[in-house]
Amino acid sequence: MTQPNVTLRGPEVPNTPGSLDPVFTVEDLSVFYGDYEAVRNVDMMIGRREITAMIGPSGCGKSTVLRCFNRMNDLIPGAHIKGKILYHEEDLYGDHVDPIEVRRRIGMVFQKPNPFPKSIYDNVAYGPRVNGMKKNMDTVVEEALNKAALWDEVKDKLKQNALSLSGGQQQRLCIARAIAVKPEVILMDEPCSALDPIATTKIEDLMQELRQEYTILIVTHNMQQAARVSDRTAFFTADVDSAGVRHGRLVEFDQTTRIFTKPSDKRTEDYITGRFG
Amino acid sequence: MAAGHNRATAPGPNRSLARSRPRYGEAAIKVLLLAAALVSIATTLGIVAALLEPTIEFFSEVSFGEFFGSTSWGPLFSPPAFGVWPIIVATLEITLIAVIVAIPLGLAAAIYLSEYATTRVRKIFKPVLEVLAGIPTVVFGFFAFSFVTPLLQDILPFTLDPRNALSAGLLVGVMIIPIVASLSEDAMSAVPRSLREGSFALGASKMTTSVSVVLPAAFSGIVAAIILAISRAAGETMIVAIAAGFKSIFTFNPGSEMATMAAFIASAGSGDAPVGSIAYKTIFAVGSLLFIMTFAMNWFSARMVKKYREVYE
Amino acid sequence: MALLSTPRSQVDLVGKGRPIREHLFRIALLSSLAVALIFLGLLLAYTLTEGWPRLDSRLWENFPSVRRPETSGVLSGIAGTLWIIGLTAVMALPTGVLAAIYLEEYADNTKWYNRLIELNIANLAAVPSIVYGILGLGIIARWLDFGFTVMTGAVTISLLVLPIVIISAREAIRAVPPSIREGSLALGATQWQTIYRQVLPASIPGIATGSILALSRAIGEAAPFLMLGAATLVRFNPDGVWSSFTVLPLQIYNLISQSREEFHILAAAAIVVLLAILLLMNSLAIWLRNRYQKRW
Repeated sequence: MTQPNVTLRGPEVPNTPGSLDPVFTVEDLSVFYGDYEAVRNVDMMIGRREITAMIGPSGCGKSTVLRCFNRMNDLIPGAHIKGKILYHEEDLYGDHVDPIEVRRRIGMVFQKPNPFPKSIYDNVAYGPRVNGMKKNMDTVVEEALNKAALWDEVKDKLKQNALSLSGGQQQRLCIARAIAVKPEVILMDEPCSALDPIATTKIEDLMQELRQEYTILIVTHNMQQAARVSDRTAFFTADVDSAGVRHGRLVEFDQTTRIFTKPSDKRTEDYITGRFG
Repeated sequence: MAAGHNRATAPGPNRSLARSRPRYGEAAIKVLLLAAALVSIATTLGIVAALLEPTIEFFSEVSFGEFFGSTSWGPLFSPPAFGVWPIIVATLEITLIAVIVAIPLGLAAAIYLSEYATTRVRKIFKPVLEVLAGIPTVVFGFFAFSFVTPLLQDILPFTLDPRNALSAGLLVGVMIIPIVASLSEDAMSAVPRSLREGSFALGASKMTTSVSVVLPAAFSGIVAAIILAISRAAGETMIVAIAAGFKSIFTFNPGSEMATMAAFIASAGSGDAPVGSIAYKTIFAVGSLLFIMTFAMNWFSARMVKKYREVYE
Repeated sequence: MALLSTPRSQVDLVGKGRPIREHLFRIALLSSLAVALIFLGLLLAYTLTEGWPRLDSRLWENFPSVRRPETSGVLSGIAGTLWIIGLTAVMALPTGVLAAIYLEEYADNTKWYNRLIELNIANLAAVPSIVYGILGLGIIARWLDFGFTVMTGAVTISLLVLPIVIISAREAIRAVPPSIREGSLALGATQWQTIYRQVLPASIPGIATGSILALSRAIGEAAPFLMLGAATLVRFNPDGVWSSFTVLPLQIYNLISQSREEFHILAAAAIVVLLAILLLMNSLAIWLRNRYQKRW
């Protein structure tokens, strides 16, 4: 691998092809838990109908950053951010913004499948219901399950408890559940880490399908997965500052093919070639 | 936007992220929930308020010196006597007997359930302890008075009054076994497995591990359990009212009838004392003393529980 | 030659056998549990044999009488207990569950007043029941002027069991995994929607178990009622919340206080009724808990 002569990191990141149509623009984002600065100075852009992967060693703050996009970090007492996240030019952390409204537009799938202890149907219908939708529920449920490639497997047992499904099916149900709210963006926090390889493949195929319609951000600790599914990749790592405190930071953000073939930063190269992390 | 398939993915900047409709309900519910939680504060304030005024009035008529400096108690007699020591001594004595019964039995039960018992054995004994904890104290009192006392009168070499501290104390002890057992077991279960494994790996036996690793590690939780049990024993009313009686004599003899603080409140409060009289106010003065004693113990116990939770959880 | 060394190493691993004291220790522990079991059996057997002669319809069809033990019953106590429990269920259970929701789902533990509420509930749970009697007498009966009525008794007992309801409901709510809450919130549900549609339904079995145990505590409670004028001989059933009343445990107490032996037999019979109700409730609670334990 040859070192490119331009270092792409920090504020220079928006140096990406003009095809990027930003849904999110992250400007100098730092995330704090109380006084502890967990992640510092992140700049990146999330392109519309693209899959953006966030990779890096554990403890580098990639999940923390992910949870900023739908304001799930708000639920942790003492958590706050500095910097900006723009969602279609609107400040996601502006005073007027309602986190609940945010979460209706930006769905999330978690590391461990977490279906509600209810029927498959009720799981999918839950989001539309809490959002005040009452009509055509059957259509909404079927459509969401279809898009999550789960309909054929569950259409005869919609009244069964969701916990009776396999792990992979549960995770696709969680994706269907998120889709049913008709979000623009889906955040995925290591969605395959609790699944076997076959279930993982199914989710990855599904992501390619969903990419036609949704913007996807995925956190993964699996580099091959990032290489297989994503259009762009953000590589995070953790620095230890002079006081001995760990801070996550974004090292490099670029098209996935570039990250995996011609990384501009030594640390990225070390990580993807397995020398570190 | 029921079936608005096409609009679904194109909210864009034209739809603001601001709250689409106000949610007054959410705020109102939070206020309602807080109000429910504040009922507990109101209860404490109510208890303090109920106790405070008559207690102050009591001490304006009876000096602290007489209350705490004399050993003759009889607020309902004429002339009345207000030396509180006989009922304090009775309370302490019955509590002591109870603790002597409950600590070994309760702790042993806790060690067995936490360290030795298989799941099946636990499934049998846990409900037994729960049923024991659920038996009304008036039933224990009846059993003490009509079964235990006659039995003890037959087998013990010294004389027992029909109502006496010993059998009341024994039954109060049985009553608090479930408290000692279940809270101590909680504390022992909170001790991490790694500590036990470390001990086993050094070749220690199960007994050694239980006694010299788990017990010390769960110490603050066990102390909390015992203090809470003592507090419960000191405030117990029905067992002592039935089995130990109402006679206020300054004695340490466990075979004698004696009234505890709670028993005095019960007897004077159930109609013997005319409202507004000094005897009536005495109920509240003794109530204050009992409340302060138990409150101090409970507070200390809660602190100890918090301590072990902080260490292991 | 290798064959010769094998048994030797086996002996080393077997050791000298478990020391006797290990066995003694285990037996001592087990016998302490056996003591509790034997005690319970003895108590039940004794009460049942004592009360057997009077365990018939006279017990629950007649009012008490000091002069005629043979026709004396505990009807007014049973009726009073039912009134008290009904009202306590209506007052203490909703309040307790709401307070538990506040403490588990809303309260920010870094705030001093939330910590105070928590510490206060732990303390209240251990305040002697006779002190609640003083609260009922001084504040509810006299200051609020509710008098010695069913209402006074019910409010007093509700306050007494409230900490128990709160503590057990909190445990049930805490047992619902955080991932369920996150899943709901991530779909744009509000906090109350999440609680009402996910957390509460999932914790209902646990809350029900705790509530039954709290109510059974209320049924057996006697001391506070001593202070609330319920100790007198009551020869009628309550006809409303402002009626005077007595409760079964207190009637048992009165019967034991009588000197004639016949009344003690009657007391034993009444205890059997009381214990039967409580054992039924306890079994229901234990069944509920085992049936719905750990669904994820």
